[in-house]
Amino acid sequence: MINGMKRPNHTRWILVSLACLAISLVLVVYPLYVIRPFRAQGARELMVALTVLRFRPWLTVVSALAALAAAIAYWPTQAAMRKRMLVAASALLVCVLAVLARVNVFEALMFHPLEHPAFAAAKEVKLDSDDKLIVVRINGSARAYPIREMAYHHVVNDMVGGTALVATY
Amino acid sequence: MRDVAGRRLTFHLAGINNQNFLMRDEETGSYWQQISGTAISGPLKGAQLTLVLSDELTFKTWKAEEPAGTVLKEAQKDASEYEAKDWDVHMRTRPTVIQFPEHGMQPRDLVLGIRNPEGSRAFLYDRVIKEKLVKGYVGAQPVMIVVGPDGQSVRAFRERIPGVDAVPDFYRLTANKPGVLLMDAATGSEWNFQGCAVSGKESGTCLERTPMLKDYWFDWRNYNPKTTIWGI
Repeated sequence: MINGMKRPNHTRWILVSLACLAISLVLVVYPLYVIRPFRAQGARELMVALTVLRFRPWLTVVSALAALAAAIAYWPTQAAMRKRMLVAASALLVCVLAVLARVNVFEALMFHPLEHPAFAAAKEVKLDSDDKLIVVRINGSARAYPIREMAYHHVVNDMVGGTALVATY
Repeated sequence: MRDVAGRRLTFHLAGINNQNFLMRDEETGSYWQQISGTAISGPLKGAQLTLVLSDELTFKTWKAEEPAGTVLKEAQKDASEYEAKDWDVHMRTRPTVIQFPEHGMQPRDLVLGIRNPEGSRAFLYDRVIKEKLVKGYVGAQPVMIVVGPDGQSVRAFRERIPGVDAVPDFYRLTANKPGVLLMDAATGSEWNFQGCAVSGKESGTCLERTPMLKDYWFDWRNYNPKTTIWGI
């Protein structure tokens, strides 16, 4: 109590900050945990993880805005500097998680995509006779995708003979 | 094909599901299973990509068939990451997260899978390469798998000659005649590796191609639970 008036309780801003941090951590970590190589994926957990992936870019932004609002509301209070710094740091971490939520680790860290695939004439390409290719022929146009390259990139968006296709391996 | 429901989709590698990868399209954010081409999550859930007929051939065989063809170029910055030759063979010793040990099959046994509305069948790859010509049925559909002159390239066809009622009874010619691989007993025509008759009564006729997938047993079996097996 100060001069007979009840002291404002700013604990709620700490709770909001912690809740946002917990939610954002779960949104980022859960799909990483479920959808990782050399681990069996159950049907239900996979569906949950994919749903989280679809909505987390926006959910983590909302969480970051809420964490920032809590930090801004909490900063001018008469709480100890240590507590105010912790709430601020928590908000910063939630913002970082909002950025990480948009990172596709499979392309960013594991297998770089072919954003602009390029092609060469068969007679100009230097491949061994026994190099294996995935080949298609559409409307008179023949295209080949060396398996050595496809085993790394996995996905190539392409147009062959006027048909839009995606080559996968 | 990546035109679906009036939209052209752009795909990205996005995850893995029991060692078969997932893709995500930019336009709707839907997730697709690579082996089936089916959207499993998102606004397009249930949609199906149309399969484009493809082959796995050696460069030598393909270049002879398609001298005007084009080849995907290496991305120089990633070239050091590319796999060694026979990547699928080298992978045989790697563990898998799911197994289907029926019939003594090992998880990473290579198979050639054929599927139609009537059924599915896995043809053991090593046996097919050794036999060079394999005939069988998938459901009620007669199929024929042919190994090319290079001993590595493989194609599958419907084992019926269009317009001919008789069972063709293809067999492999042992004489080394350029451009000729098979003969059929029904019409006496000679056929090349592309499944087209180059001489005889059916000259100019081509066999109907059958889509075929080269896959590891565990993956094929996971998505074709009722599959039969040839070659064990």
